Amino acid sequence: MAMMGGVELTAPGCRRSQPLQIKPTLAGAEGAASGAAEAPQPAAAAEKLTEIPPVPPVNYGVIGAGAWGRKIITTLTLLKNDSQFKNTGVVAVCDHFPSWLNRAGDLAPKAEKFDDYKKLLAKPEVQAVVVATPTHQHRDIVLDALKAGKHVYCEAPLANSIPDAKDIARAAQKAFKQVFQPGLQERSHPHRHFLWPFIRTGALGRNVLVRAQWHKKGSWAKTASTPERAAELNWRLRQATSTGLMGEACIHRLDAVTWFMGGAQLGGRPSAITGFSSLILWNDGRDVPDTVQCVFEFPDGPNAGVRFLCDATLCNSFDSEYEMYYGTESAILMQPGDESRESKAWMFKEVDATPLGWEIYARKDSFGAETGVSLVANASKQAALAPGAAAANAAPLVEPLQYALQSFTANAGAVSAAVKDYEELFGDADTPEYRAKLAEARKYSFSQFPAAGWEEGLEATVLAIKANEAALLKQRLELKSEFFEL
Amino acid sequence: MKKTIDSPIPFLLAASLFLAGPATLCAADLPTVRYQGQPTNCTLEIQGTSTFHDWEMKSTLMGGWVDFPAGVSFDLSQTNLPGLKDGNLPASGTYAILVRQIQSQVSVGASVMDGVMQDAMKETNFHRIEYHVTELKLQTPHVAGQPFTFDAKGDLAIAGVTNQVAFPVTIEPLGKNAIVIRGAAKLKMTDYKVTPPAPNIVGLGIMKCGDDIKVLFNWTLLQTPPKP
Repeated sequence: MAMMGGVELTAPGCRRSQPLQIKPTLAGAEGAASGAAEAPQPAAAAEKLTEIPPVPPVNYGVIGAGAWGRKIITTLTLLKNDSQFKNTGVVAVCDHFPSWLNRAGDLAPKAEKFDDYKKLLAKPEVQAVVVATPTHQHRDIVLDALKAGKHVYCEAPLANSIPDAKDIARAAQKAFKQVFQPGLQERSHPHRHFLWPFIRTGALGRNVLVRAQWHKKGSWAKTASTPERAAELNWRLRQATSTGLMGEACIHRLDAVTWFMGGAQLGGRPSAITGFSSLILWNDGRDVPDTVQCVFEFPDGPNAGVRFLCDATLCNSFDSEYEMYYGTESAILMQPGDESRESKAWMFKEVDATPLGWEIYARKDSFGAETGVSLVANASKQAALAPGAAAANAAPLVEPLQYALQSFTANAGAVSAAVKDYEELFGDADTPEYRAKLAEARKYSFSQFPAAGWEEGLEATVLAIKANEAALLKQRLELKSEFFEL
Repeated sequence: MKKTIDSPIPFLLAASLFLAGPATLCAADLPTVRYQGQPTNCTLEIQGTSTFHDWEMKSTLMGGWVDFPAGVSFDLSQTNLPGLKDGNLPASGTYAILVRQIQSQVSVGASVMDGVMQDAMKETNFHRIEYHVTELKLQTPHVAGQPFTFDAKGDLAIAGVTNQVAFPVTIEPLGKNAIVIRGAAKLKMTDYKVTPPAPNIVGLGIMKCGDDIKVLFNWTLLQTPPKP
C-alpha cells in the first residue's frame, strides 16, 4: 500500500513458532514495546536453545479442496517443519470434485481421499477437521464433525445466515471436550497481540474514526467444463449463497476493527450499519455487487460518535488491504500480512501529541510527506545499525493462516491431552469438575496460543451478514443485540 | 439318618481359615471403606534448586484411592482413632500423577521447562508417577483438634524405578464424607535414575538442577458409597 510516515509495531514475547522468542522471555527482556535497542541474536545462538516440547499429535482431515483448502493443506504440511508441530499431519482429504481431490492428494500423498465428508468423519484417526467448503455448506459439516468428536476449524464466515451461524455456535459451545476455532486468523497473529494493548492503552488519544479497505481487482468468476459445475463453483456470485464482499473479503477487517475498538463488552460492537453497493465492472449475470461501502456506527460509550468506514471492490487494486485508526493524538496504520508481505503497523503522531518517549529511538519510515514510527518489536535505530541487522530483519514470512493453524493445532492437542489425562484418572462422566478442569486446560493453552472461539466467530459472522444485507438494500440497519445472542 | 460329607472342600476351607488365624481374616476379609481421590482441591508441588535459582513445578490433577477399615472416623475431637491394629491403620491404596500434568511455574518459558522435565522423567515410556501405601503408623499421642499424623511407608515408582519411601502424612476430615491427606517427602532424582536436568539457556548458559527435590501434596478424597 501507499506508504506514509509511521512507527512500525510488532509482537514481543509471543512464543509460538519462533525459537528466538524464547530468549527474551527467559531472560526477562520485555523491551519490545518500549522500543528496546537490543541487537539481533545470531541464528547460531537460536539453535542452541532448548526446544519447546512438541504439542501432542493432531491428525487432520481437510474438507473442501478448492484453492483455499489446498492452501490449508500446504500450510498444515509446512507446520511439521517446526519441531513443536512435528506430530501434525494431514491424514485425510475430502472433496466431491475428483480433480480437486486428486490435487489435494498430491499435496498430502499419505492422506486417505474421500468424496463424502461423512466417511472422513467416521475415521477415528482423524482428530481435527478443517472445513474449507463454500460458506453456505459449513453448517451441516460442522455440526456432524462436532457430533463425531472432532476438533473443528471452520473458515470464516461461519455461515451465510444468522440461524445457521447460531446453530454452529451452539454446537461448539456444547462440545466442551473439543476445540472450535473460526478462521479469523488475525486473532492468532502475534503482531495483533502486540498492537492491541498499544491501542487500548490510549496511544491514539480519543478515537475519532476507523477506516478499512479491501481492494483487489478480479472477477471472482470461475470457469468449468459444465454449466452445473460452473454454477457450483461460482457460489460467491449469487446472493442466495454468498455473503458478498463484506463477508467473503472484509470479515477479517470487521473482526479486527471491532476487536480493537473494544469488542461487545467495551463498546466496540457497532449499533447500526448503513450500506451502499454497485455492480460497476463485472456485469456478467451475477447478482452480487462488485463494489461495496459500509458505515458502521458505534453505540453510546467510549466510541460514541466514532464511525467505521469499510469499503471493498473487485474493480481496483490500489492500496490493497489495510486498517487505519484515527485518534486525537495519532493515527495508526495496520497492514495485514499475506503470502507476499509481513504484518506491519506504523504510528503517525499529531504535532501537538504528548511525547511517549520511546518513539525517539524507534525506526521511522517515510510515506510520501509523512513519517511513520514503526510499531515493531526491537525496531530501534540501534538495532537497525547493528551488524547483521539486514539479515535479522529478513525474517521468514509467516502468514496469518499459519499462526491460526498453529494455534488450533496446539490448542486441539492440549485439550485432547487434558481429556485423555482426566479420563484416565476419573472416567468420562460429564461432571462440573470435569468441565472445570478442561476450562483450566483451555485457559492455559489458549493463553499460550490465542485464537478466536465460537463467540468471536458468531460476532464477526453476524456483522458480515448484516453489513452485506445493508449494502444490498442500500439502507441503514439497526444491529439488535438478539442477532448476537444464542 | 447318617450324615455324609459329599465333598471335602468346605471342611478344608473351614480348617484352613481356623489355622490361618484372625490376622489373615482381618487383612483379607474385613470390610473396608473406599475414599476416592477428587479432581478438585488437590495440589502437588515439586520444589528444586539450580545454579540459577530455585524452581517449582505444580500439578492440580491427581487420582487414586485409599481403602480404610470400615468404621474408621477421622474425628479430630477424639484422642483415639478406631480401626488401629498395633498402632497401624490398615490401609491400601494408590496415588497417581501424570507427568505431563506437572507444569513449571515460571511466568515465561514454562512450556520449555515442562519439556525439559518430561524428557528427564522419560515421560514417553513412563507417563505416570505412582505411590502405593503399605503402612500407616499413627504418631501418638494424638492431640485432640489436630490432624492425625502418620508415618507412611510405601512404594514410589518414578520413571520406571520403584523405591520404598517413608515420610509423614496428616489426615483430617473435610466436611462429612471427605478427607484431606497432606504430606511432604524429600527425594533424590538419581535414586530414580533421573539425571538432574541441565538445560542450556541462551544468554544465561547451563542451568544445572540440583539432585535433591522436595515434594509436597494436598490430596482431597471423598468416601464412596458402599457397593450394593
